[in-house]
Amino acid sequence: MSALLELSGVSVAIGNVALVDRISLRVEAGRILGLVGESGSGKSLTAMAAMGLLPLIGGRVTEGEVRFAGRDMAGMSDAERRALRGRRIGFVTQNPMTALDPVQRIGAQVDIVSRLHLRLTKAAARARTLDLLTQLRIPDAAAVVDAYPHQLSGGMKQRIVIAMALAGDPELIIADEPTTALDVTVQAQIIQILGALVRDRGLALLLITHDMGVIAQICDRVAVLYSGRLVEEGPVGPIFANPAHPYTAALIDCIPQEGMAKRSLRGIPGAVPSALAFPPGCRFHPRCRRATETCRDDAPPLLPLGAGSVACHHAGPP
Amino acid sequence: MSEPLIRTEGLTKRFRSGGGLFSRERVMTAVRDVTLEIARGEVLGVVGESGCGKSTLARLILRLIETTEGSVVFDGTELTALPPTALRAMRKRMAMVFQDPYSSLDPRFTLAEVLAEPFRVQGHDLPNDAVPAMLAAVGLPEALATSYPHQLSGGQRQRVGIARALALHPDLVVLDEPTASLDVSIQAQIIALLADLRDKMGLTYLFISHDLGLVRYFCDRIVVMYLGSVVEVLPNTQAAPRHPYTDALMRSGFAPDPARRREIVPLGGEIPSPFALPAGCAFATRCAFASDRCRRERPPLSQGLSHPVACFHPL
Repeated sequence: MSALLELSGVSVAIGNVALVDRISLRVEAGRILGLVGESGSGKSLTAMAAMGLLPLIGGRVTEGEVRFAGRDMAGMSDAERRALRGRRIGFVTQNPMTALDPVQRIGAQVDIVSRLHLRLTKAAARARTLDLLTQLRIPDAAAVVDAYPHQLSGGMKQRIVIAMALAGDPELIIADEPTTALDVTVQAQIIQILGALVRDRGLALLLITHDMGVIAQICDRVAVLYSGRLVEEGPVGPIFANPAHPYTAALIDCIPQEGMAKRSLRGIPGAVPSALAFPPGCRFHPRCRRATETCRDDAPPLLPLGAGSVACHHAGPP
Repeated sequence: MSEPLIRTEGLTKRFRSGGGLFSRERVMTAVRDVTLEIARGEVLGVVGESGCGKSTLARLILRLIETTEGSVVFDGTELTALPPTALRAMRKRMAMVFQDPYSSLDPRFTLAEVLAEPFRVQGHDLPNDAVPAMLAAVGLPEALATSYPHQLSGGQRQRVGIARALALHPDLVVLDEPTASLDVSIQAQIIALLADLRDKMGLTYLFISHDLGLVRYFCDRIVVMYLGSVVEVLPNTQAAPRHPYTDALMRSGFAPDPARRREIVPLGGEIPSPFALPAGCAFATRCAFASDRCRRERPPLSQGLSHPVACFHPL
């Protein structure tokens, strides 16, 4: 099956600092790809690259290709890229407060998306907005459209942001940490809503998160980033059951779980390196228990393994 | 059982807002009638979502803010009525680690100065080897003593926050979401460090968190709060929840295991405003088991069941 969104060997730099190093990803219709990593791993930059938004933050794609529905985005005009965003690609940000205009009523903010991208009339756009809010199980949608963002709870605001992302009837949703700012009971709601959208509408979803629990709950495949590089990618079943990369394994082991013995959680020694001083060879080697001389000298290539791929000189069970 | 280190009785905090020329005064109840004990050497977890009053409760216990009603007894001494000098002397025995290590360290201080501050405030001399020893105790190299907070990573900063809290060998340490702004690999390091320090120094922890999974891993007993009230006290980490809210919290977490995916049954209803708490159970608007009685009457924290639960229809 052909991918809706495909990144091949994409590198990203801001100024002359290289932050993302040759990442390849595929997101297919009706599927959820999880992109997981800790702070500084380059997950948000990868999302910005996928939407052609890097210039906003002074970044650029220095290598590789971003293709949407088979077309290279670098070859598109600004107008074409703008038409893509909102219409065919919806975006959900981490903090709903920054995505919403505090002085505009909710209804107007959602309406504008379908008026702009689907050329709907004012009345048709409002009808569509009410329909979307109802689908997202927002109680009393008719009253909510007249409210201002500050009058709504965090979970409600995030559902409005999702409604805005859906208003242009997109094929792909990119959600960057959509539940990180929310309480756990609300997170569960939002995750359920996103999962249902993919299932019912055949949307493609690129879900960026630092939470392995969220990945395990709804993703089909997962891509693990560390310090700007893809270290492992594949279907969630095998990756969680038998992570081949020591970083993937360590990341899973960092999460407190039901029935875990006290004192079994030790974390990963050291800290994520700064982008100004990535270590040579495998970037994870200073924190890795399996690291050898080879890891210090040579960056391991990403090689196929089972239904996925892994970049480690000592890949396999611990 | 020996005397608990902390005992609160009917602890209540109400905040007032408005009441000026242009608005009616409104009263918000942040903490409502909380009675609890913390035993010596215990790790007591307080868990709840934003606005449940967990941080306010911690601040009331340390008397960083004044109580509206109720009492806090620390090792036999009533704190709420203590005059300032006596309170300051008492403060040596309690400390707090804050959520955000970026804003809780003064950016103009070197780490040595940050760590010397508790001694200065309490009018103690700083022993010569104190700073290196404090850094070593939290796993930081001595060479960092002359660094400034901005030169450290988030995890390192939080280690400094812990070292500062432990400077005067307190009995009680309040940990207010100490890992919420850290990456998971660092969170696990910090939790392991806190466990080691507790063993070495015989500390008592009050651990505040929104993460029930983490609380169940780290704490001995767990207090669950919802909109200012304690709804359940789990006596150990294995105890099954009896309150529908605790149950919902537990069902909202996801295990990092695709083989254990669960059907998500989201909580319905809306959270009532803390400015206008309902007469009955605060959770009734979202609870599948709520009856007329729940909407009318506030369930007390009942001691009759396997453990304290404030619910008329416990699971």
